[in-house]
Amino acid sequence: MTTTSAAASTTAIPEVVTNSAAPRPSGWLSWLTSTDHKRIGIMYIVASWMFLVIGGVEALLIRLQLAVPDNTLLSPQTYNALFTMHGTTMVFLFLMPMIAGIANYTVPLMIGARDMAFPKLNALSLWLFIAGGIVFYGSLLFSPAECGWTCYAPLSETAFSPSNGVDSWIFLVHLVGVSSFVGALNIFVTITNMRAPGMSWGRVPLFVWTMLTQAILLIISIPVIAGAVTLLLTDRHFGTHFYDPTNGGSPLLWQHLFWFFGHPEVYILVLPGFGVISEILPVFSRKPIFGYKAIVAATLGIAVIGTLVWAHHMFTVPLPFFLMIFFMLGTYLVAIPTGVKIFNWVFTMWRGAIEFPVAMLYALGFLATFLLGGITGIFLATFPVDWQLHDTYFVVAHFHYTIVGGAVFSMMAGLYYWFPKMTGRMMNEKLGRVSFALTLGGFWITFLIQHSAGLSGMPRRVYEYADVNNLGTYNMISTVGSFILALGVLLTIINILQSLKNGAKAGPDPWRGNTLEWFTPSPPPVNNFDIVPRVRSVEPMQDIRRQIERQDRVGEEAGVAAGS
Amino acid sequence: MRSPITSLPAKNGILFGIVLVSALLIPATGAFAGILAPEAGGGTPNAEAIRSLYLLIFGLGCIVFFGVGGLMIWTIVRYRASKGAVAVQVHGNNRLEVGWTVGAALLLVLISVVTFIKLDQIKNPPNSSANGLSTPQNASFSSGPAKPSLPPNGRSLNIDVNGQQYLWRYTYADTDTNNLNNVFSYEQMVVPTNTTVTLSIRAQDVQHSWWIPELGGKFDAVPGYTNYTWFNITEPGVYDGQCAELCGRGHATMIASVKAVSPDEFKLWYASQKASIVAAEKQAATARNALIAKDAAALKNAPSADAPAAAPAPAAAVDGKKIFVAGVPATGALACGSCHALADAGTTAAVGPNLDTTLKGQSAAMIKASTLYPNKLISKGFAANIMPANYGSSLTKAQLDALVKYLNDAVNGK
Repeated sequence: MTTTSAAASTTAIPEVVTNSAAPRPSGWLSWLTSTDHKRIGIMYIVASWMFLVIGGVEALLIRLQLAVPDNTLLSPQTYNALFTMHGTTMVFLFLMPMIAGIANYTVPLMIGARDMAFPKLNALSLWLFIAGGIVFYGSLLFSPAECGWTCYAPLSETAFSPSNGVDSWIFLVHLVGVSSFVGALNIFVTITNMRAPGMSWGRVPLFVWTMLTQAILLIISIPVIAGAVTLLLTDRHFGTHFYDPTNGGSPLLWQHLFWFFGHPEVYILVLPGFGVISEILPVFSRKPIFGYKAIVAATLGIAVIGTLVWAHHMFTVPLPFFLMIFFMLGTYLVAIPTGVKIFNWVFTMWRGAIEFPVAMLYALGFLATFLLGGITGIFLATFPVDWQLHDTYFVVAHFHYTIVGGAVFSMMAGLYYWFPKMTGRMMNEKLGRVSFALTLGGFWITFLIQHSAGLSGMPRRVYEYADVNNLGTYNMISTVGSFILALGVLLTIINILQSLKNGAKAGPDPWRGNTLEWFTPSPPPVNNFDIVPRVRSVEPMQDIRRQIERQDRVGEEAGVAAGS
Repeated sequence: MRSPITSLPAKNGILFGIVLVSALLIPATGAFAGILAPEAGGGTPNAEAIRSLYLLIFGLGCIVFFGVGGLMIWTIVRYRASKGAVAVQVHGNNRLEVGWTVGAALLLVLISVVTFIKLDQIKNPPNSSANGLSTPQNASFSSGPAKPSLPPNGRSLNIDVNGQQYLWRYTYADTDTNNLNNVFSYEQMVVPTNTTVTLSIRAQDVQHSWWIPELGGKFDAVPGYTNYTWFNITEPGVYDGQCAELCGRGHATMIASVKAVSPDEFKLWYASQKASIVAAEKQAATARNALIAKDAAALKNAPSADAPAAAPAPAAAVDGKKIFVAGVPATGALACGSCHALADAGTTAAVGPNLDTTLKGQSAAMIKASTLYPNKLISKGFAANIMPANYGSSLTKAQLDALVKYLNDAVNGK
C-alpha cells in the first residue's frame, strides 16, 4: 500500500497505520489464554484440520473395506463405529469449527470491529468444542457409538446399544452444541452492533450476511437437538421411555427432533460457504457482485424455508400423505433461491476479467460440484422418487456433493483467500493448483459413481455387499477416487506448513480485495484497526483505493506546481 | 442497462442439452438401468411410475446441469483476464434476475404437476388381474399416521412383514382369527403373479426398512407403527433386496427377496406350508401331553415331607402347572408353556418372554394383571397383540388364581 506524498494536506488521508505499541505476547500459554478473535479463529482452524485428518483416515478405512465385494478387512462393529465417527467428526468437529474459525477471524475485520462482542465467551466456545472432541474420541478407549451420526432410536437405546459410546456421542452433541450456540450469539451481537460507521445493512459484506443468517439458524435449531439428546440420555440412564415404543414412546419423535435440527444444519454448513464464494468471485472477476440484494434475499429465504422442510428426510416412515406433499413442495421452494444464487454467481463472472488463483479455482470447483448436488436434491425432494433412492448410495453421493461441494470447497477457497491475511504470507500457488486438481478430480471420481451404486441397489451403511449389478466395479472406482482426494488434501496441508515459513510476504492487500479486512496489515495487530474508515459502499476498499489514487494525483500535481 | 445477453448462446445451450439428454436417455431406458436410472423389471405399476418420474427429473436435471455448466465454462474461458480486458462494472439486472427466478419456479411446477399426475398410479393399487389369485376381502386395517391403500374392490393378498434383527418374517393373512396357525416364512416371500399384494410393515425391535428395488420404493418398519405398501408383479422371477435402514451390526446381511410364481404354483406352495405348520402343531401338542403326563406322575410320587407348611399348596400347584403346560382346551385357553420358557415347567419356547427373568421379583398382582391384560406391559423386544387376551373369560377364577400362584411360586419361591 502506498503512502501519500509528503504534501502538507490538511484533509485526513486514509492510510494504513501499523504502529502497534506493545509487542505481542508469544508462547503457547498466551495462545491458550487468548481472547483475541484472530488467535481463537486460528486455533479453531488448526483444531478442525486435525479432526479433518482423523475423519479423513476414517473415510479411507471405510473405502478400503468397500473396495471389493464381500471384504473381510473390518468387522461389522468396527465398520459401524467408523462411519459413525466419520459423519460426526466431519459435521461437528471439522466443518462447524472450521466455519467458526474462518468467521471468527474475518467477521470482525470485515465489519471494521476491534474484536468480537464477547471475547471471553468466544474463548469458551473454542474450548467447549475441543472438550467435545476429546469426550467423543475418548470413546475409542472403550467402544465407540455404532448408530450412525443420526443415532436413530431405538437402536441408540441401551437395549440395543449397551456400550457407553452413545453416551459420549450425546455429550459431544451437548458440548459442541453449547459451543455453537454461544458462538452464534456472539456473532449475532457482533454483527448487529459493532459495524464500522456507515456500514448500513445494504453495505454489509455478503459473507457477514450469511454468518448472521447462520447464527439465527443455530439459535433456532441447536436447542432442539440438545433437548433431543437429553431425552435420549434420560431414556438410557434414568428409566424414561421417550423413544421406547414398547412403553408408549415414539421412535418418530427422535426423527422429528433430530431432523428439525439436522436439516437447518445443512444450511448452517453451506450458507457460510455461499458467503465466501460471494466474496471471492467479485474480487477475482474484478466486478461487483451481480445482484447483491437478490443474494441477501435468497440467503434469508433459504434459511426461512430450510427450517420448515425437515421431514423430507422421513418420506419412508409412516407419515400422513398430505404431510409428504407439504414437505415435497417446501423443499422445491428451497431450490428457487438456491438456483437464483448460482445464476448470480455465474453472472458475477460474466463480462469480467477473471483471474485464477487457487482460491478462485476452489470457488469454481464449488460452483460445478454444488450445482450437481442441488440437482440431485430435486430427485430426493420428490417423495415417490425418494422412496426408491432414500438411504442408498445415491443419497450418500448427494449429500457429499452438497456438503463437500458447498461447504468444504468453499472453506478451502476461503482458506487460500485469507491465509495471507492470517499469516502475512502467500501460499504456494503451484502446489495449490496441483492440490486443487487432485481434490476436485478425486472428489468427482469418488462420488459421481456412487449415484450409480445407489441406483443399482446398494443401501448406505452396509459393511459388505454382494458382487451383483457391477457394484464391485463402482466401489473400486470410488475407493481409488477417495485416495486421490486424500492426496489432494494432504498437499494442501503440506502447502500450509511450508508457506508458514517460506511463503512470499503478502502485504496488507495481495488480492486487491473489496472488504475492510484488507485495510489492515497482514497479520493484523491486536486491535485490528487504528483508524476505522467510514464505509460508503459494499466495497469499501475500492472506494479507499480510488480516493488514494485521486489524492495521489492531486498531491503530485500540487508537488509539480510547487516545484515549477 | 441494455441486456448483455444478446451474444449468449442460450438457445444453443438448451438445444445442446436436449440432444445430449436424449442421447443419454435412449440407453438409460435399456441396458444402462442401474447406472443412470433405478432398476426395473417386476412390471408392478407403482415402480414403473416412479421410474418414469425419475427419468423426467433426470432429463430436466441434465438440461439444467449441462446448460448452466456450459454457460459457466463458456464465461470462464471467454472472460478470462487478458491484456486489455476490462471488467464491466454492472451491479445487476432486475429483468434477468426475475427471469431466472420464474424459470426455476416453472421447472418445479412442471415436476410437481407430473408428480401429482403419477401419484394415483404410485399410491393406489389396481384390482388383481383376472388371471391372478382370487383373494378374500380384507378386514379393515388399523389406523395410524400412514393409511393403507387397497384396490377398488378391496381384495388383496395381505402379508404382514415383520422386521427383526436381522431377519424378515412374513405372515400370510388367512380367514380365521387365530394368528398362530398362519402360514409364514422368513427371508423369502412367495407371492402369486398378477395379484395385488398389500404389505403391512412392522418392526419388533429397532427400525428397519423394507426395500426390493424392482418393486418400487422402500418403506420403513418402525417399531410401534405400521407402514403400508403394495405391488402387483406381472413377471415371474426372484426379486432381491435388503434392509435399507441401519439396524445394527448385521444390517448388511438382513436380506429379503420376493419370489413371484403363477397363482397355481402359489396355491401349491401355500398348501404345503399350511400342512407342515399343522403337522408341526400336532407334533408339539403330542409332546406337550407327554410332558404333562410325566409331570403329573412325578408330582404324585413326590415326597410331601419337604414342604409340610404348604400342605394345601400342592393341590393348587398341580392345577396351576397343568394350566401352564396344557392350557384348558375346552374353553380355549392356550397353554402358556407353548410360548413362554419357564424352568420349573421345563418349557423352553421363545415366542413370548422368558418368565423366569421377566416375572422375577414381581408381585402376584402384577402377574395376574399381565395374564389378563397382556398388552398393558410389553417386555422389551416383543410386540403387542401376540399373546391371547382371553384368559379372563377362558379360565375360571379358581383356575386363574391357581395359575398365578403357581407362576409366583415357581419364579419367586414360596
